[in-house]
Amino acid sequence: MATGQGDATDEMLMVRYQRGDRQAFAELVRRHQRPVYNFVLRQLRQPSVAEDVTQECFLRLVENAAEFKHEARFATWLYTIARNLCIDNLRKAAHRRHPSLDEPSRPGGERSLGESIADTHPKASAERAAVSSQMMSSIVSALDSLPEEQREVFLLREVGNLPFKDIADVTGVPENTVKSRMRYALDRLKTALCEFEEYARALR
Amino acid sequence: MDCEKFDRVVLDLLYQELDELTTASAKRHTEHCTRCRGIWSELRATREVGALPLVDPPEGLELKILEAERQARKGLPARQRVGRVISLLAGYAMRPQLAMAALLLLLIGSSLVILRGRPGERDSVMVTEQGLPGSEAESLTVPLPERTPLAVDAKREEDSETRAEAKAKGAPAAASAAAASAAEEPEADKDEDAEYAAGVALYDQGRYVEARRALDSVATRGGARAAEAALYAARATQQTQGCAAAVIQFEQVSARFRNTRSGLEANWQAADCYKTMGETEQARRSYEALFSTEYDERARNALARLDDESSATATAARRAKAAAPVAAPAAPAGEASKVPAASKSPPAKAMKPQRDSAF
Repeated sequence: MATGQGDATDEMLMVRYQRGDRQAFAELVRRHQRPVYNFVLRQLRQPSVAEDVTQECFLRLVENAAEFKHEARFATWLYTIARNLCIDNLRKAAHRRHPSLDEPSRPGGERSLGESIADTHPKASAERAAVSSQMMSSIVSALDSLPEEQREVFLLREVGNLPFKDIADVTGVPENTVKSRMRYALDRLKTALCEFEEYARALR
Repeated sequence: MDCEKFDRVVLDLLYQELDELTTASAKRHTEHCTRCRGIWSELRATREVGALPLVDPPEGLELKILEAERQARKGLPARQRVGRVISLLAGYAMRPQLAMAALLLLLIGSSLVILRGRPGERDSVMVTEQGLPGSEAESLTVPLPERTPLAVDAKREEDSETRAEAKAKGAPAAASAAAASAAEEPEADKDEDAEYAAGVALYDQGRYVEARRALDSVATRGGARAAEAALYAARATQQTQGCAAAVIQFEQVSARFRNTRSGLEANWQAADCYKTMGETEQARRSYEALFSTEYDERARNALARLDDESSATATAARRAKAAAPVAAPAAPAGEASKVPAASKSPPAKAMKPQRDSAF
């Protein structure tokens, strides 16, 4: 008997979608829109652009659905599309200046990434929220200062939750290279976190 | 494990990509080696404290994506259809049974070629011309009479009489109008109706492999008889290889001749096949595709029956479960069909990537 959409793997859902089951596609969107949006947002840094690119990413998936082979891994395919769209976007925007993460909010406009993240802890006490917000800013700054190839590996692992082998497939470099990029990214992050008490406590 | 190996696997360890044995070995190593213990605790703390919180995507993004998908599918119907057929074919092509079936068909096909070249009488020969001298009959390529598929049954009897007559007269059977050869001999392919009728005749005689070859040939050329021929070919597949192989063909016919009677019939047959195979969801979709067509009433009735059967199955299963000594309390009747799915439904966390906890 056919299993429900909730139990099915991404690959099974994609095959069902190829056969015309649109509910399977809706389930894939529900599962992946959040991490994909975050992956794109942290690469491109502008929420409105990230929204458009995320939408475009799923649209590409629809247009190329027939090419998906059921022995392939869906997440690898999805993030390959997302990554390519990010690269295209960054190239196009190469001559334009990106708004900095530290840039204050534009009146009535979009909020910077740092502000969005600071808002994710509304229930914490004011003092703790201030420390937490400061630490989040440090994390984001550290991430922002990473070379592009290290940042994308970090995001694919942390946000996309892809294993190193799949990241190697997405980025087209050997797995060992992926791991050394990840190691550099974590070292940079560690340096940014050293000054915070939370890190010292976690070291134990 | 030594320090060098530990350095190689430490990231896999951090993200729980190591097998149990290596994990245990690495863990033991950190207990004895100060250097590696330091590296490990720094990495673990960094990952623990430096977790990136995920930002919620803008409200309405999901709807926008689904709407864009709807528009995209509308804009590319042919492509989607082709993609769907390709994927169906690819799915079935992966099955070893298909390779075996192909090999079998190849063997049968090649042996037919050998048999056809052998002189002498064969029971597949149908002679449709009468009253000619034996010498002339030998050189004849006999055109099949124009007839509609409905007339085939009536003609078949006549054909067998003719055959008996031809035998009695000693006319050589080389004047072949056999449908099998009709598919293979281009010079006899001019009359599409005749070839179609011959294919149907073969089908009626239960010679499905030959019938399918003849009908496929008609369907491939895409003439006026293509839709009916394709439908018969799919039925022939069903007769020889069963529903699993035929359902793809029915789907193809349904997609290719969507607005014809044969297309609808193929859709109907596909639904029946899915039902037979226990693919309830696919059967449901196929029946639903027939709504608002001339099969509307049939499809709705069949769907209702399908629902009845599924709920009956679920009820039976529940009863069986209740009869067991350690049976769980029965679910409400209305929920019966949902029970298996609901019990396995994933937690909301499936929507976001989970952070693995480090040891």
